[in-house]
Amino acid sequence: MNTIVDIVLRLACWLLLAPLLPGIINRVKAWVGGRRGPPVLQLYYDLARLWKKSVVMSTLASPAFVVLPAVAWVALLAAAMLMPLGPAGAGLSFRGDVVLMLYLLGLGRFCTAWAAMETGSAFEGMGAVREVSYAVLAEAAMVAAMLSLSVQTHSLTLTTMLSPTVGAGAVLLAAGLFIVLLAENCRVPFDDPNTHLELTMIHEVMVLDHSGPPFAVILHGASMKLLFFAVLLTQAVLPMGKLGVVSSACVLVAGVFVVTVSVGFVESLMARLAFRRVPLQLATAFLLCVFALLVAWKGGVA
Amino acid sequence: MNTSLALVVAAAGMLLGIMTGRTAARIWLITTLVGVVAAATAALSVLNGADWEWRSGFTVGGELLHLRLDGISALFMMLLCVVGGAGSVYGSEYWSEIEHPRSARSGRLWWSMLVLSMGLVLVMSNGLHFLIAWELFALSAYFLITLDRQRSEVRAAGWLYLAASHTGTLCLFAFFTSLAAQTGSWEFGPMRDQAALSPLFWLALVGFGLKAGLFPLHIWLPSAHANAPSHVSAILSGVAIKLGIYGLVRFSGWLPMPENAGTVVAILGVVSAVLGVAFALGQHDMKRLLAYHSVENIGIILIGLGFAMISVEHGNAAWGSLALAGGLLHVWNHGLFKALLFFGAGSVLHATGTREMSRLGGLWRTMPWTAGLFGLGAVAICGLPPLNGFVSEWLVYLGLFDATILHESSAWEAIPAAIALGVTGGLALACFIKVCGIVFLGAPRSEAAAHAHECGKSMRSAMCLLAGCCVAIGLAPIVFWPAIARAASTWHPAWKVVQAPESLAPLGRVHVALAVLAITAAALLWRRVKHQGLKRELTWDCGYAKPSARMQYTVGSFAGIITEWFAFILRPVRHMHRPRGPLPHDASFEEHTPETVLERVVAPFANLIMRVSLIARRLQHGHVQAYVFYVLIGLAALAAIVIAGGGK
Amino acid sequence: MNHNLNLLLDVAMGLNLVSLACSRLQTLIRVMALQGVILGLMPLVMEHDLDWRFALIALATVFGKGMVIPLLLRRAMRKAHTDRELEPFIGFVPSLLLGAGGTIAALAMVNQLPLLPEHTGSVLVPAALATILTGFILLIGRAKAISQACGYLILENGIYVFGLLLLKAMPILVEAGVLLDITVSVFIISIVVDRIQTVFDSLDTRHLTTLRE
Repeated sequence: MNTIVDIVLRLACWLLLAPLLPGIINRVKAWVGGRRGPPVLQLYYDLARLWKKSVVMSTLASPAFVVLPAVAWVALLAAAMLMPLGPAGAGLSFRGDVVLMLYLLGLGRFCTAWAAMETGSAFEGMGAVREVSYAVLAEAAMVAAMLSLSVQTHSLTLTTMLSPTVGAGAVLLAAGLFIVLLAENCRVPFDDPNTHLELTMIHEVMVLDHSGPPFAVILHGASMKLLFFAVLLTQAVLPMGKLGVVSSACVLVAGVFVVTVSVGFVESLMARLAFRRVPLQLATAFLLCVFALLVAWKGGVA
Repeated sequence: MNTSLALVVAAAGMLLGIMTGRTAARIWLITTLVGVVAAATAALSVLNGADWEWRSGFTVGGELLHLRLDGISALFMMLLCVVGGAGSVYGSEYWSEIEHPRSARSGRLWWSMLVLSMGLVLVMSNGLHFLIAWELFALSAYFLITLDRQRSEVRAAGWLYLAASHTGTLCLFAFFTSLAAQTGSWEFGPMRDQAALSPLFWLALVGFGLKAGLFPLHIWLPSAHANAPSHVSAILSGVAIKLGIYGLVRFSGWLPMPENAGTVVAILGVVSAVLGVAFALGQHDMKRLLAYHSVENIGIILIGLGFAMISVEHGNAAWGSLALAGGLLHVWNHGLFKALLFFGAGSVLHATGTREMSRLGGLWRTMPWTAGLFGLGAVAICGLPPLNGFVSEWLVYLGLFDATILHESSAWEAIPAAIALGVTGGLALACFIKVCGIVFLGAPRSEAAAHAHECGKSMRSAMCLLAGCCVAIGLAPIVFWPAIARAASTWHPAWKVVQAPESLAPLGRVHVALAVLAITAAALLWRRVKHQGLKRELTWDCGYAKPSARMQYTVGSFAGIITEWFAFILRPVRHMHRPRGPLPHDASFEEHTPETVLERVVAPFANLIMRVSLIARRLQHGHVQAYVFYVLIGLAALAAIVIAGGGK
Repeated sequence: MNHNLNLLLDVAMGLNLVSLACSRLQTLIRVMALQGVILGLMPLVMEHDLDWRFALIALATVFGKGMVIPLLLRRAMRKAHTDRELEPFIGFVPSLLLGAGGTIAALAMVNQLPLLPEHTGSVLVPAALATILTGFILLIGRAKAISQACGYLILENGIYVFGLLLLKAMPILVEAGVLLDITVSVFIISIVVDRIQTVFDSLDTRHLTTLRE
């Protein structure tokens, strides 16, 4: 009985809170820009409206075009279930779940990129190419980051891995993971979620042809991915294992909030990078994670 | 069934297959399948129980016949049976009498020969007989590759294969004869205590490595796999190159290892994995691309094997056995999904007559089965959950992470290997999105692609069988673990028991849950969409009203970003005509990635040898008198040597 | 083992990587100047009893590397109307990865070197090696004369870090000699840059190949 309640609460937490994050980011951007901006709950309204719409689908696309967003969404949700939530731990935890988490993100990417290729459109092809190409570098950075966490904690289970020690390594890791977060969630400086120039986009351009309920699923999945990375970043950097139940929960919420707000600030204060420079930024993230790994390694010897 | 009896039935089935292959297609198929099933039961009984061994009184070539089927050979035997059986069914339709009247008969004959000789390689326990079986296997593979020998590129691929294969056999010949010379017997078995044998491992590495196609010894592999008939490509890529791995696994477990051998194997694995997939991304030919992915997956297997060897050097069996188990399971997995993918490519080739991806597109409409099964294979080869590719990569990752956590010096190798494995996974994903997207999705790029047809029942059932195996290993890895553990514990005499990682069972459950959830969510979303109404319109494309098939992303442009990163090693060849003038009409861009190692390294060297040989050929001109004169000079030289050396 | 010194050296190594990744010449010069300043501070944190000679070295280094040389380079850059490295021989990502790989290798290798007992635990030697490697990568991989000058100077920074090992034995002599050398060479580079600019109307050193015959 208890486990059922736990899973329901956890699902509710991920499903219901995730769309809040893009709202907060937009609010921060509006505040920096001196505008009033859309309401924080805007994405909820959008999702509800999309859910009630009918679907227009390309004549070229197969039924997979409609159902793959659901598969990608399930993959992201499964990754979220593996992610511990502060004192509550993870919904599901076993040795080696960290690798499963990385590859579930890959499965999500596979489904989105496949659906993009269904339409036979040059724009969507372009988005798919960029998505899968830049993901290679982000993946390398993620593996290095996870290695550094598991070296620090001598563990391969996310629940124990995400209670790291404080130190120089944490700063490097935070910087590296933040860049990965920006890249994986297609935020400025890698991608501009607000632009209307298709040539400059990655994620948005991939989902140009989606509409109605599948599009709602995609948008919800994207917000879940953002929440996922924010939770990961917070727990990978802050030593929350040493705090009490209430305080660590507060720290987690505050950490996610701070990450979200800083994404908003980055978005307000930076311009999008030229695509030429994207690999360089991701290589930087990779190196930051590698050096965090080295610091963790040296710390382990002493 | 008794193992010996099963093997006798298997051999009889194959021999009958060889005899009936030319005449009776149906009987051939039945006997081959019976043989394959019998061999599979034998392998299964070995994997579940004790080794099988048979020392006979017969001598072949002066040596007593000695056969053995232990955990490792049974593992490879099992793969051979599954792919061999599926391939026979597939081939009976794909290379049928109606479409290939010239070669269908010999195709069946050599197919049985190939399966039989590969089985023989696996059971031979005497160096001499191993070499005979190995040569038989290499030759039957050659005849299968060149079935369609009217085409010149097929002949060229066949010659290249034969040359590479014989270079490898030469190394193996040197290896086995020196082994026999030093141990005093052609028999082989565990001999880790004789430290003097350790340098021989390098010979085995080159000999078996050439067959396995590890980078940079893979030069023969792309053209051979691309030009062979697809069912042959499937067994070549799924099983034949694995026999190279079989040799490496066998002798790395039995021979004493030279220092740093594990590191060398692991580095070769990493290089093969990353560069294999990078070359694959640059390809335009569907089957050639799949062939390069074999290089990648051989790399992943070698990473597992290499770290098992490193762990032996460090005396730490725990993570080494995980890495080895991952590598061995990947042998199965790669055999299954690669054969499935080659079958899929074959059915595309069958339906459209081309392997050029830039002429295909939109095939899902006419070939939904092939598209779906190929997509499943793509998910598996990218190592994505919940299919089998992920399970083996997960085991290798576990080994690498453990090696890092333990904080030994071996971590210096494990960290880059883990990162490279992650990069390989990302690149493979990019590559298979490219293949699936260009071949099966979007709009057809040519008439042939628009009027394709689905393959027949035999081909489809063969693909379904392999896809089923992929799904089964993915969803219930714990069921298959005992077989892998049995093989891993046979590898090294000191590893008596290989424990299952305690999280393998939960991983299987997660996979099942993931599959069920994904299907449910997909069905629910489909229902919702149907309920809300589904309209078909032109691709929106930001409002462009006349999209055409030519506007889609192409093979080259899809891989452009990544091939640019690897351009320093891929050396793509570009031909570009820029548009000129105010009203340009004549502009084009073409890029292809050649087999760089072959064209830049091996070919110049071969040219040099040819030039020297041409000079030497002047000595041969047909004048008998001159030849007698050569003999005289030779005798004189010998006499001179004897006189000069006689003083000692 | 000296924590402050190691921290400075870590920062210097970080700046190496930044210098490999930046395409703006202005940033490159700034990074190099900052590294010069940090290098200048090192003699001060190395010894507990401050000698006036160390202070003098520090002052001279900070002044020379942090102010004079960057000033000269910046002037050359303005004269040449160029501010970006556009088409390097070795791309930014590969050179960054090379530099990072070299740094890690140097750090890993340090235990194998026969060092004096007082230098174990210090990253002085790996930092010196990594900085020299960075200098070489810049010299080999960049096309613009200004970037090459920066590479040359970073190379010298590496030699300077090596010199810190000998700080007690022969302090001023080594450094003074090297610094003088550098100042002169920077003058020469500024002049050469000016000449290249006027002759070829560009700072790309690839044009120099036309002078072969």
